[in-house]
Amino acid sequence: MPTAVLEPVVHITLVEDDLQLGAAIDSALQRLGYAVTWLRDGRSAMEAMRDESADLVLLDLGLPGKDGLEVLREARNRNIRTPVLVMSARDALPARISGLDAGADDYLIKPFHVDELAARIRSLTRRMHGLADNRIEVGALRIDLGEVTVTYHDQPVDLTRREFALLQALMERAGRLVRREQLKNALYGLDRDVGDGALEVLVHGLRRKVGTDTIRTVRGFGYMIPRNIT
Amino acid sequence: MSKPTSISGRLLRLVLGVLTAVLLLLGLFSFMKSYQELQELADGRLAQSARTLQVLIENGANTSLAKGDLRSIMVPSSSEVPNVRTYQAEVGFQVYDQSGKLLLSTMNLATLPPALTTDAGYKNLQQGRHRWRLFTQPADANHLIIRTGERNDSRRDIMRALWIEHGVPLLFVLPLLAWLMSWAIKRGLSPLRQLADLLSKREPGSRAPVQLDQPPRELQPVVEALNAQLQTLEDALERERRFSADVAHELRTPISSAMVNIDNAEATLDSGDARMAMHGARDSLIHLARRVEQLLALARIDSAIGNTQYVDLVALAGDVIEELAPTIAASHVDMSVAFSDDPIRVQGHEAALGALLRNLIENALRHIPSGGQVQLSITQQDVSTHIDVIDDGEGIPAERREAVFARFHRETDSRGEGYGLGLSIVQRAARLHDAQVELLDSPLGRGLRVHVPLPQGRATSRIPASMP
Repeated sequence: MPTAVLEPVVHITLVEDDLQLGAAIDSALQRLGYAVTWLRDGRSAMEAMRDESADLVLLDLGLPGKDGLEVLREARNRNIRTPVLVMSARDALPARISGLDAGADDYLIKPFHVDELAARIRSLTRRMHGLADNRIEVGALRIDLGEVTVTYHDQPVDLTRREFALLQALMERAGRLVRREQLKNALYGLDRDVGDGALEVLVHGLRRKVGTDTIRTVRGFGYMIPRNIT
Repeated sequence: MSKPTSISGRLLRLVLGVLTAVLLLLGLFSFMKSYQELQELADGRLAQSARTLQVLIENGANTSLAKGDLRSIMVPSSSEVPNVRTYQAEVGFQVYDQSGKLLLSTMNLATLPPALTTDAGYKNLQQGRHRWRLFTQPADANHLIIRTGERNDSRRDIMRALWIEHGVPLLFVLPLLAWLMSWAIKRGLSPLRQLADLLSKREPGSRAPVQLDQPPRELQPVVEALNAQLQTLEDALERERRFSADVAHELRTPISSAMVNIDNAEATLDSGDARMAMHGARDSLIHLARRVEQLLALARIDSAIGNTQYVDLVALAGDVIEELAPTIAASHVDMSVAFSDDPIRVQGHEAALGALLRNLIENALRHIPSGGQVQLSITQQDVSTHIDVIDDGEGIPAERREAVFARFHRETDSRGEGYGLGLSIVQRAARLHDAQVELLDSPLGRGLRVHVPLPQGRATSRIPASMP
């Protein structure tokens, strides 16, 4: 369940040409407490990006007037750093990758759940606001990045520094698979060559403290904290 | 299939056949003509010698001959004289008086039956081992009867020589002609070979017309018809691709808005029953979205031609697994992957290979009960790349494995999910890359192993076969 957003109010520019989908997302974002400006074409999206009035732009790729990718590229060329979350109706993987290359911070494939949308937005705006929104909550698991505390079913959990870093990395991307390499880089840095064994031991230890089913494994690939854990 | 016929071979055979027939006829005609001339020449000579003899004998030696006491004077024949030249005819003569009494004869003609006055003119006669050509100068006005003869074998020798003179050059000329002809035909047919080259090198879907440097008049209509057909075909495929893309957009957008609306409604509902209903609606919507994605993937694979590229299967599989994270999270299955850290490159269609991997994994995840295992492995062997998805679920009995590839076949299981659409996507994507999907027994003791061996590094650019 998404938590209510605390102040300051986050301004989101929604760019979506489809009236029904736009209205649905608009109302979902408002319900989540965001201030939303809804635009329907690429040209006005470009103008809005230039104003840099929004904290985050939720951008559909297939837009009339000016293609979403073009808007994104032009904005990045103009050195506009506003986080952009792309909603891609494009099915081919190369299109998604070109979306990221064009300067998108993250992407969502249609159709998507509001929970997923909210999580991605929080992940992007958390980075932006620094300490203003430090808490991540998934199911009964709660982590406070500022206070460096973890509770599971409202009980405080004692974690080592590395276990906390691992949990943070997984919680920040809850519902998504995080690859072993990414985790190792986050935990040990790029220059240290750590075997998979060390990571497995760490995950094993963390599981005993926050519940075995909380952390899912895809052996040979990575780990994930599903969004629907209990 | 029978061996294809070759136009140049056919042309060569026809031209050589015609040439040989004409040359043989010509040779035969000129031989016959020569034979006739020779006969007439020799016959003329025979008659001439008879008359000469008659004059000579009657005017020179007539005293003794007239007395009739020179009976059977034998003259040696030319064969008994040494130093004869080639073709020197074996000739002879006989002299009779008016009453038919032999007065004079060469030895080689001594045994001939006597000449009668009725024998006047030319006559062939078998005499022992030889055939003779005889000319009888009839007796008239108290003249002697003169018979001259020439043995046939001398004429035969001349004819044989003529045969050889006419025939032997043909033996040399025909092979030379054959060789020259085959060169000429090959040169003449070079535009055809150029066209074949162009067509085989042509990238399907390239939309560029086939163009010969200097198209001969005969090939012009072929090239034009070919280009028209290619244009129509590629336009149709292009339309289908655009249609797929449009349909994708048209279908996904309403599904997306329905999803967000359901989420919105669910968040504001208090009643448990209503929330349950919303939950059900959302599940149905997810199901619909998945079906739509599968149909679109199938449509895209079916219209995919040309434009192959190198695809890193390891990176692609990583993307697919990341994308399937929600399904993996929901499935409570022990999933593992085994592939190298290094890229495994195959040439192919990225979207089709992505659909292949996605549907392989998704099918396994959806058919394995809680606690089961799903293993994906991508391995490279010298000439091929192998994609394997192994599970320990209920599997598919060997006798039903063939049937599950049907497009909408449902191999029903406890969850009521169909294998069919996913597997037929896998199969068509594999076929697009010249691979066959194999359904095997799982090495985990129970369950299914789906094996896709991709031929490595092969450009696949053919149009998939029509739907079963």
